[in-house]
Amino acid sequence: MSFLVRQISLTADGREIVRAATLSKPQLSLGRAAENDIHLPDLALEPNHARIEQVDDRTIRVRATGTLGFDLDGRTVLRAEIDPAKGAELRFGGHRITVSRGDDGATILSIRRVDAVSEASEEKEESRVFSLRGLLLGKRLTAWGLALAILIGFLAIPIWSYASRPANDTRNIYRMMGDKSWSSGPLSQAHHALEGRCETCHQKAFVSVRDSACQTCHKNVHDHAPAARIAMARAQPGLGGQFLGHVAAAFGKPPEGACVDCHREHEGAGPMQPAPQAFCTDCHGTLKDRLKDSKLGNAEDFGTSHPQFSALVQTLPGKHPRFSRASLDTKPLDDSGLKFPHDIHLSATGGVAKMARTMKAQYGFGDALACKDCHKPTADGTRFLPVNMERDCQMCHSLAFETIGGTMRTLRHGQPDQVVADLRAYYRSTGPARPVALGGMTRRRPGDYAQGQLYHAWFGAVAARPSRADEAIRAVFSRGGACYDCHTVTAPGTNGQPSWQVLAVHQPMRYMMNGWFDHAAHRTEKCESCHAAPKSHDAKQLLLPGLDSCRTCHGGEKSKADVPSGCAMCHSYHSGEGAPWAPAARSTKKDEADRPKELDRPGLQRVPAKAGTQSSRQNWGPAFVGTRGRLDT
Amino acid sequence: MATRAPRRAKGEVLHDGFLRHAGFRWLKIATLICLLSIASYMLVDVTPHHNGGSWYGYAMGTIGLLLILWLTLLGLRKRAMTRGRWSLKAWTSAHVYLGLSLIVIATLHTGFQLGWNVHTLAYALMMLVILSGMFGITVYATLPAALSNNRAEMTQVQMLDAVRAIDRQLHDAAQPLPHDKAVLVRQSLEQDPFGGSLLNRLSGRYPRCATARAQAALRHWTGDQPDTGNDPLEKIDALLERKQAMLARLRRHLKLKALLEIWLYVHVPATLALLAALTAHIVSVFFYW
Repeated sequence: MSFLVRQISLTADGREIVRAATLSKPQLSLGRAAENDIHLPDLALEPNHARIEQVDDRTIRVRATGTLGFDLDGRTVLRAEIDPAKGAELRFGGHRITVSRGDDGATILSIRRVDAVSEASEEKEESRVFSLRGLLLGKRLTAWGLALAILIGFLAIPIWSYASRPANDTRNIYRMMGDKSWSSGPLSQAHHALEGRCETCHQKAFVSVRDSACQTCHKNVHDHAPAARIAMARAQPGLGGQFLGHVAAAFGKPPEGACVDCHREHEGAGPMQPAPQAFCTDCHGTLKDRLKDSKLGNAEDFGTSHPQFSALVQTLPGKHPRFSRASLDTKPLDDSGLKFPHDIHLSATGGVAKMARTMKAQYGFGDALACKDCHKPTADGTRFLPVNMERDCQMCHSLAFETIGGTMRTLRHGQPDQVVADLRAYYRSTGPARPVALGGMTRRRPGDYAQGQLYHAWFGAVAARPSRADEAIRAVFSRGGACYDCHTVTAPGTNGQPSWQVLAVHQPMRYMMNGWFDHAAHRTEKCESCHAAPKSHDAKQLLLPGLDSCRTCHGGEKSKADVPSGCAMCHSYHSGEGAPWAPAARSTKKDEADRPKELDRPGLQRVPAKAGTQSSRQNWGPAFVGTRGRLDT
Repeated sequence: MATRAPRRAKGEVLHDGFLRHAGFRWLKIATLICLLSIASYMLVDVTPHHNGGSWYGYAMGTIGLLLILWLTLLGLRKRAMTRGRWSLKAWTSAHVYLGLSLIVIATLHTGFQLGWNVHTLAYALMMLVILSGMFGITVYATLPAALSNNRAEMTQVQMLDAVRAIDRQLHDAAQPLPHDKAVLVRQSLEQDPFGGSLLNRLSGRYPRCATARAQAALRHWTGDQPDTGNDPLEKIDALLERKQAMLARLRRHLKLKALLEIWLYVHVPATLALLAALTAHIVSVFFYW
């Protein structure tokens, strides 16, 4: 009945030292306290931790004395019975006790310290514990992980999304996310519906956007000029431009003049911006140097280098008028066929002003006539309607010649034959007013028929009636007559005409056919600040303001003028009849953008518009609103 | 015996850091590059406005790309140390200053047009690489002195051995203690001085330090007892005090070393991510040209 206790320790060089002691006791105490039979200096143990007793020949019992147990073959227990012959492994704190049976029948307890005294005393690899290794994911792993994730997410998936797209893709744009990350910026407002449908414009991989892609939708775009002429007109680009040209050519980009050269996309949501001045001046700045036969002057910048305006003026009025373009510098005359002195009508003192004052209440005139009293703007306010006799002149220039039962009879304007007929009818159907002296009760004396007597006056008038009509007609059409004041009249017989002829009047609404001017955008200005009407005594004088007048406010695109103005403000590249394209102002609210607004502002009377005008107005409604908004500020 | 001084390139001074290399040669070159870039950006009139797709944008992009590729090569170059004009030190100096000039070049390449896309991702990653590099330069310039002061001529192994020695003494001194008090000491022994999270390591603050807790608890018991000189608790208290001091030094050391190291955990992976993003950027630009 004895225990053989073998304490095994390691030397610094790893050699085992065994100290064996035979304890001939049936029962051993085990613990941290020094008085124990088996003294284990281990802070994990209680001072008196356990007892080991021999139960019989083949069995020993291990009992924990306190509440802390011990491990038996890896399981924590409070007591255990062990057959030393079969062996077992016990663990007390940092110590391991192997139970076995000796040849002499004694129970052998081999004790070995397996844990270091402290965590710090464990074996440490210096380069590891003193670095961040172990605290962070390895650099290499992170690097490859990130790189792979980016290559998959931003390269493989977009390419896959492109390749797997059905030919006729009807998906909603918000559902096409695959290659969204490739977009360098949002598309403009007009192209928003193409967002995510990259292949609409980028039709082939690694092939730059072609004009044909734009022309799928924009079918009716005018060319600016024949391609060969544009090529001739284009200035040699600078060094940088040439370099880019070579690079572009090497990579198969189409030559200059492609749609996308001016219409840049992916430049941000909102309206697309008009092409900057430089795109025009590349050719037009020095156009004369290359296109010798061009009638166009060089235009580099509106503020500093722009040819004088040329107006389309009427050189020959009439039924078949003749027009020619002439620079405003040559002070061209514009013969509309009308006689009209602006100065008399606008004078604040003359008879016209006096008459206007009498008609204040009825027609809303001021103390003198103003431009607006006769000139009415078009519905869009861009320009003015031709002056209309019935609407704009007749309130003063009456053609009335008789009152019948309170109804005024007037000569028909614009129909000379009807005027002649009306006058003849007048003289035929009504007699002259019978003198009072011819009353029935008055005594008549002989000699009344004599020349100069009352009877003669009346009967003479009656007898002369039909021939007096011709006189009246002649008077109306001749100097001092109602027609002659404003119109050029030719007498019967001239040029083989059988009757009186009035020269046809043609009032142009637009003089500058290649530039755009919007009166509505200038409504804060007075008419007279541009048009010298108060000093004009002849209707032939062209009252268009010249370049200098515009330049008081407008300058080049990058100038410090009140209104920096690029070419696109007045000119359209894809030459057409309408206004040059302009973006809607960003501030325009969405719900207002499509409505013409502010037409009822004072100073601009709404005039019933013709259907044609209205529809053309609406084509560029948002643009119109925006332009004005910008200029007004 | 006369020793021959090692051959040095002209103008090279001994003990010249990579930042001051050759009288700030690469700082001057990089500054010149930045000024030229900014001036050309101002002078070149790109319509409608500057962007990466103009000829100027392409030029800047190409320069930027070549620079990035060259800068990345430092990872290979550093494994071969050489001297002289093309020494590793010169290379590192150029790496730092040219890398900084990339901020200007790449920003001008973008034309200040940024968005949520792969192009800006590449730009952001590049900036992350540069910023982490700047952090690295800063800590390389400032921390080694602090590191050296803190070490007090001890090596890392010596610091660890000092802790071990205290631990052994603590272990022995705590033997007579009753179990509840022994547990406290054991907690101090069993806490890994290299444990704690990354945040603990970088801040140098360990609010769950078992040694500090053990000492606080111990003083709670010993506080109202006279120091008789043979109370084991007094000895343990002194040992815990020493261990705390040693741990503080060790932890300061670990913090400084972590700061010197951490930026590379951003710089290197972000560089590789940048190369991937650049690839995607360039391919995508020409894919949808």
